[in-house]
Amino acid sequence: MELLTRAVPGAVVVETPLRARPAFLDRDVDLCYIGSSTERGQAIAASALAPWRDEISARIDDGARILATGNAPELFGEYIDCGDGHRVECLGLFGVHAKRDMLNRYNGLFLGKYDNIDIVGFKSQFSHMWTDSEDDDEALFEVVRGAGRRPGDRREGLRRNNFMASYLLGPLLIVNPPFAKQLLRDMGADTNELPFERAAMDAYDARLREFRDPKTGFGG
Amino acid sequence: MSFIRFIIALWIGKLMRAIMRALGRNATYLPGAAALRICPEFLARAGKPEMIISVTGTNGKTTVCNLIIGLLTRNGVSVLHNRLGSNTVAGIAASLLSGCKLTGKSRFRTAVFETDERTTRLLFPHVIPNYLVITNLFSDSIMRNAHPEFIMGVIENALPNTVKLILNCDDPLSSRIAPRNARVYFGVDRLDDDVTECVNRINDMRLCPECDGALVYDYRRYHHIGRARCPSCGFRSPTPDYRASRVDFDAMTMTVSDADGECEYALLSDSVFNAYNQLTAVAVMRELGYEHAGIRADFDSGVTIPSSRYNEERAGDVTVIMQMAKGKNALACSRVFDYVSSRPGEKELILIMNDLHDAKKWSENTSWLYDCDFEFLRRDGITRIVAAGPRALDYYYRLLLAGVPEERLRCSVPELDAPAHLEFRRGGSVYILYGADAIELAERVSAETKRVAEVSCHSN
Repeated sequence: MELLTRAVPGAVVVETPLRARPAFLDRDVDLCYIGSSTERGQAIAASALAPWRDEISARIDDGARILATGNAPELFGEYIDCGDGHRVECLGLFGVHAKRDMLNRYNGLFLGKYDNIDIVGFKSQFSHMWTDSEDDDEALFEVVRGAGRRPGDRREGLRRNNFMASYLLGPLLIVNPPFAKQLLRDMGADTNELPFERAAMDAYDARLREFRDPKTGFGG
Repeated sequence: MSFIRFIIALWIGKLMRAIMRALGRNATYLPGAAALRICPEFLARAGKPEMIISVTGTNGKTTVCNLIIGLLTRNGVSVLHNRLGSNTVAGIAASLLSGCKLTGKSRFRTAVFETDERTTRLLFPHVIPNYLVITNLFSDSIMRNAHPEFIMGVIENALPNTVKLILNCDDPLSSRIAPRNARVYFGVDRLDDDVTECVNRINDMRLCPECDGALVYDYRRYHHIGRARCPSCGFRSPTPDYRASRVDFDAMTMTVSDADGECEYALLSDSVFNAYNQLTAVAVMRELGYEHAGIRADFDSGVTIPSSRYNEERAGDVTVIMQMAKGKNALACSRVFDYVSSRPGEKELILIMNDLHDAKKWSENTSWLYDCDFEFLRRDGITRIVAAGPRALDYYYRLLLAGVPEERLRCSVPELDAPAHLEFRRGGSVYILYGADAIELAERVSAETKRVAEVSCHSN
């Protein structure tokens, strides 16, 4: 978010406290962001968002622009199987569920495509996502190397209208300046110039070369 | 049959150790790994000292172990330890192996084991410590440790009821661990620089662990370290049994008080995190029955922080300082950045915290850079920062986003070229910040820095 607010002078950031009504339900916002949390945090967030489930669903259908990263996409699926006999009920807006394996953390690199934009990123997570029902929902990214919603799945993340969700970790926009610029364009920002764009592109180009190199391991 | 297998594992391990040591190697991992391979019950069957002190936590465990070992050794105690090696199961197995007679019985009465947090799960069923010290629990490598709540759960699930805990009461997370176990707390009184709101990017304790209400801090040292309370349910940080007060970084003293009285100690370092490390070591020694006066005398006579973590030398017109800053550990680096940037005088920095292992095998996950407080490095007094190594471009961009003026920054992928970008201002300092797996590289960069500094001095 810091990147976007620095790219757009005068941008206003509204932070919604836990259990408060999400601000984007009542006012037009250009982007709503939700990031990673602990497993306990996920359970708290799922219960805190539950009262607003139908309104969130309606806003997504209306085209609200939402970006969820890390394990936050799981909150929009049906449920999280905790792997210990418990499960966390989620918003049920997408026909997917997540399953945790707390003894085996998945760490991997990711190379994919968003339309024609090359996406690079990192994953570090206890859970993966299983698709339960094939709606019209798309994946956010097409997998080139690395894991999608789960290892072996060529689809990464969730996309419906302007809702975008990905397991890729938090500096998603920072390590992907072309994607960040596209997002700014889609948001209708006055500028899509990023701060220190040359340095951002140098780091991005170097990482893209590494990730495309077949000799680079991808973890998992 | 199992005993025979154990003896075979022990002897083969000892033979490996002898050969490796003859070849100049430390032999602090492989003999243990081999012994465990041959005999999976090796940890259970190996002879153990009567007194085992295990030290774990996110930051400070190596320093605390070294201080405890130093203090015990000064008191004539022969200590079995894993100081030179791995803090994982194989490292501790190698240490136990080295401490066993050929019969499998231990030659030592006391052991101090630095224990990786995740290793507790595999270790504690077989090697039960008398004391477990937890220095703190913070966000660490997201890849290895996920988040501190997860690590706390790992330790708690592994912990036998008999273990006495020595805990940091200023850490509202780890101080809550395993309420069934006996415990004592150490803590540092409010300091002049303490705040109430978090100024760091990482804040692992925003919500009350009891009721999920918002926590309030009477004072906060950094991140979630401080004195917390919950206005909703009454949760509050515990009271220290070993309390450091009058911590004075000008006079370099602190007073440690407990139920038996108090004593003024000379601080080993002018950093808060090392004050915690020293206090922790004092708390352990007091628990073992040593008097304050003797502990203080041992510190005064040379028990100190090992130079592999911090080392400074003069070269030309400058002081060259090697300072470890564990890469992929945003919090450890934040603490080092805060410390270095607040030192007096002009400073130049070489950043080589890249993960060299990752650089060989795949590509480092650099998400931690955005949890780390690089913003400390924009402080006045830092005149030049050279980002070096495989992730130099990522560091460079992060530093720009942190607000460090572009003219102060340089970028050099080959680490050994980094010193050529320095200015070597007279009377200034050059800090080389390096990761835990880059000690050898850092020493080479340090040597090159000193060489260039000497040349620069003579040519002026």
